[in-house]
Amino acid sequence: MEDPQADSSISFLPHLEAKIRQTHNLARLLTKYAEQLLEEYVQQQGDPFGMPGFSPPRLSLAGLSGPSPSHAGLPLSERLRLDAAALGALPALLDAVRRHQAELNPRSPRLQRSLEEAARQARALGAAVETVLAALGSAARGPGPEHSATTALSTANSAASIFSAKVLGLQVCGLYGEWVNRTEGDLSQLVHGGVA
Amino acid sequence: MPAGRPGPAAQSARRPPRPLSSLWSPLLLCVLGVPRGGSGTHTAVISPQDPTLLIGSSLQATCSIHGDTPGATAEGLYWTLNGRRLPSELSHLLNTSTLALALANLNGSRQQSGDNLVCHARDGSILAGSCLYVGLPPEKPFNISCWSRNMKDLTCRWTPGAHGDTFLHTNYSLKYKLRWYGQDNTCEDYHTVGPHSCHIPKDLALFTPYEIWVEATNRLGSARSDVLTLDVLDVVTTDPPPDVHVSRVGGLEDQLSVRWVSPPALKDFLFQAKYQIRYRVEDSVDWKVVDDVSNQTSCRLAGLKPGTVYFVQVRCNPFGIYGSKKAGIWSEWSHPTAASTPRSERPGPGGGVCEPRGGEPSSGPVRRELKQFLGWLKKHAYCSNLSFRLYDQWRAWMQKSHKTRNQDEGILPSGRRGTARGPAG
Repeated sequence: MEDPQADSSISFLPHLEAKIRQTHNLARLLTKYAEQLLEEYVQQQGDPFGMPGFSPPRLSLAGLSGPSPSHAGLPLSERLRLDAAALGALPALLDAVRRHQAELNPRSPRLQRSLEEAARQARALGAAVETVLAALGSAARGPGPEHSATTALSTANSAASIFSAKVLGLQVCGLYGEWVNRTEGDLSQLVHGGVA
Repeated sequence: MPAGRPGPAAQSARRPPRPLSSLWSPLLLCVLGVPRGGSGTHTAVISPQDPTLLIGSSLQATCSIHGDTPGATAEGLYWTLNGRRLPSELSHLLNTSTLALALANLNGSRQQSGDNLVCHARDGSILAGSCLYVGLPPEKPFNISCWSRNMKDLTCRWTPGAHGDTFLHTNYSLKYKLRWYGQDNTCEDYHTVGPHSCHIPKDLALFTPYEIWVEATNRLGSARSDVLTLDVLDVVTTDPPPDVHVSRVGGLEDQLSVRWVSPPALKDFLFQAKYQIRYRVEDSVDWKVVDDVSNQTSCRLAGLKPGTVYFVQVRCNPFGIYGSKKAGIWSEWSHPTAASTPRSERPGPGGGVCEPRGGEPSSGPVRRELKQFLGWLKKHAYCSNLSFRLYDQWRAWMQKSHKTRNQDEGILPSGRRGTARGPAG
């Protein structure tokens, strides 16, 4: 006798695999866009931004940092959850960088469009990763994107300087690239390893 | 600025127009250098932060090092400006924790986001940064010109005042108001026809003058143009004439007929349209302009080359709209329309001149006469086809002009009706 549940799982798998491949392809595409965004950003800030070896101190964005060195050692579902959480926090930061660049570089509408696009792309990729997680039965999420963004943006003290704002924008664009790249790597493991 | 030391830089340095914290609300950023959860790391602060300065002025800045490690010192610190290390002779230690910098005769900022002045530790790591805005205040914008398309809107263009760049982002704002009453309005739709332009799409009054001006503002000040006063009716332009057709005029080799339709958007308004036509040979860039085409929708071009392709365009000026005394503004040229003049079949040199039939001498006078006839035809006939009627007209003309010749009909036998030039008309 046929097991209807088995049947539905079997018919569900191709869709899930297709979704995973699609999400992986999106992440791969966005990795390229993230590189372009970073190039465009540093060009508009002027030297030393973009110069080899330029490495300003990282500003504190509580709640959002780059993928930790131990990320790769985590279970895949946990990695994807972290990917989704970071991608959920990035749009608000990218929007903030865009608003500031509108003041700092008003004659660079292309950079502003790229930042706007990046926010949209991060949101889309984050949602796609969450869909994959839900389909895999690992739908538990960390803090929502709004909470992460607020946490990331809050801090104690003084008013921003323009230089530190430039550095922060650089950091956010860098984080976007790091997390998109990390997501692509995590998804590729899912693509090649198959759905467990 | 260092406490108690205003210095010359303070007089030329100005604070940015508004604090960046307002842009980041509700964001608050760490001051660059605050370590991530760390302690024992040196941090520093540059003063002044983000100053605005005039080109040619001087700047005195300081990099003050803080640190929770005993012995933190400013020795070994250095400055870079836009990524280039500044000569050490420009800086000196004010005290153990402060490195001072003196820059003179500053050039205009390299990028609109400000020049990056950075304080580095001995090992090259970045301790602090400040963005310098060096430039000029805006000059008075001038040369404002405006036009209204079909009385529905108003677009204005101006020239920015600076002979060169101000090196600072300068904001231009087009303002307008009705001359004797009403409040100031600000145009909102910029860069519609170039970088220094603005478009007012609606709600414009007619028969009453507007005052229009441009305000330029940057970090170093503002400037206002002279006021332009105009009535929208005096600056009307319209669309190019539609449906421009160019066609041959029968077989006439040197003429083309041009027809068009008056712009439909203004058809309900009383005005005397003026038109201009321009035309050029296909592979030429030189246009010839026909100026005197008033209130007509057709024109014949003459004196053209036979067998040649011509491109033709037409434009319209809604002169005198609603009784305006002023000339309107020429529309754009219509899309080019092409046509070719006809070329009749002509015998080549040395051929095609009819020879007398057998026994008749190929007489010099006959050939001369024919040549004269052909020359006359070119001037007086609109048709290149020979006919006896035309020939008779020519003969009559010759007699009238006292050029007597004995035209023996034997010389031009009737057989010549079937000449190479074609049948008799």
